[in-house]
Amino acid sequence: MEFNKILVPVTGRPVDDETMRLACQLAKKNKGKIWAVCVIAVKRSLPLDAEIKSETAKAENILDHISTVAEEADYEVETDLLQAREVGPTIVDEAVEREVNLIIMGISYKRRFGQFSLGNVLPYVLRNAPCQVILYHQYTS
Amino acid sequence: MKIVIMGCGRVGARLAGLLDIEGHDVNIVDTEAYSFRRLPAEFGGNALVGDGMDEDSLRKAGIEGADAFIALTQGDNRNVMGAQIAGHIFKVPRVLCRIYDPLRRELFNSLGIEAFSPTTIFAQMLKEKLETEPEEAK
Amino acid sequence: MYIIVIGGGKVGYFLARALLDEGHEILVVEKSPARTEFISNELGSVCVRGDGCEVSTLTDAGTGRAEMFIAVTGEDEDNLVACQVAKHKFNVPRTVARINNPKNEAIFKELGIDVTVSSTNIIMESIQEEVPTHSLTHLLDIRDKGLEIVELKIPADAKTVGKEIRELSLPPESRLFLIIPGQGKPRVPTASTVIQAEDQIIAITTPESEEALRTALRGS
Repeated sequence: MEFNKILVPVTGRPVDDETMRLACQLAKKNKGKIWAVCVIAVKRSLPLDAEIKSETAKAENILDHISTVAEEADYEVETDLLQAREVGPTIVDEAVEREVNLIIMGISYKRRFGQFSLGNVLPYVLRNAPCQVILYHQYTS
Repeated sequence: MKIVIMGCGRVGARLAGLLDIEGHDVNIVDTEAYSFRRLPAEFGGNALVGDGMDEDSLRKAGIEGADAFIALTQGDNRNVMGAQIAGHIFKVPRVLCRIYDPLRRELFNSLGIEAFSPTTIFAQMLKEKLETEPEEAK
Repeated sequence: MYIIVIGGGKVGYFLARALLDEGHEILVVEKSPARTEFISNELGSVCVRGDGCEVSTLTDAGTGRAEMFIAVTGEDEDNLVACQVAKHKFNVPRTVARINNPKNEAIFKELGIDVTVSSTNIIMESIQEEVPTHSLTHLLDIRDKGLEIVELKIPADAKTVGKEIRELSLPPESRLFLIIPGQGKPRVPTASTVIQAEDQIIAITTPESEEALRTALRGS
């Protein structure tokens, strides 16, 4: 398996860091390229192109942080900040546009209404991704 | 009083029975004839199969001379529409309406419909019951 | 323009698609999860699941910034209430309701809905246009003026063929304003224009003098 174009969606959770380190390891073998992408989901009460300063600042911080993580692993990543209505389709569109051959997503164990849940984004990406997908589950005891 | 009730569910049928006993001229409309089984056996008013949102059915139920209209179907929107037809088109002086959704009730209340939400009323009642000591079991 | 469409059935779906093509920002609110998924797959992130009559759903949908609100579910009462909530709670400037039962048209107007669209009436109108035996077709009603624009075709055997317009006894409320000949370019008729077989005549009239106009033009 050769992965030379990898997309790493990040959300600012602790699992981001290890997901990025894994992406760096996989990319290194093939001198591949990595994009870290952070999606701001805009509520319908605002126009899609609304400037949401607090959210933008938060997303920029997340992307700065993930760049540092990659640098520590001796890797340079490109970052992308996107604004959209829904996160899942945006990740899939980005993967199509960048022609990546791998998406790596971090998940943290979640309980929603007392049941295990992957949320909305992950299942969407799994169903619609144009390439391989690796889920990285950070184990916390 | 001449009263038209839309919807012969449990509440509609019970209310129709109570008003009938007191000697009011009660007319009750429901889309299903089967619903009228809920009316008390001695019910002396009029029961009519028809749609309470339909002007012709309402006319048949005697809406034109009615003093009051009460919308009690299971659908909030059907009740709202029936109530508005009774109030705006037929100028019935008193129109009451059940709206389960509290927010919708609030809105249509502000638009001049005398609406009640069983959701709010019953939740409030249960809360108050819980906050007081139970009565001795009889 | 931001337009909210309530109801993602066939009407809602095709309406949303057409409005998207025109470059509008669209959101469809649909009750059923299966339809919501279908529309999202077909049209992108333009559909949310919810009850279009519920204030909370409409708040999340950003109804406050919508310039138009169109309710096209299969239930008239739902369309009415959705439009009223949009109008009175969110001050949407323009509300449009689909009407399934033509009897409700007048009621909806009375209750403050800006525009009503009755599919039954539209189908009736297109049938009128398509059926050739119907010699007079309604093109447009100018309701507040009590006028209508109609189209009339002159059959080959009409007694008026070959006559000048001044010879016809047209009702005073009617005006002919365009003649589209079977062949050749449309022209504005004058008193000396001669009626030809297969002419299509566009006229303005009142509903009451419709019949007189038909008789005058066809000579029967």
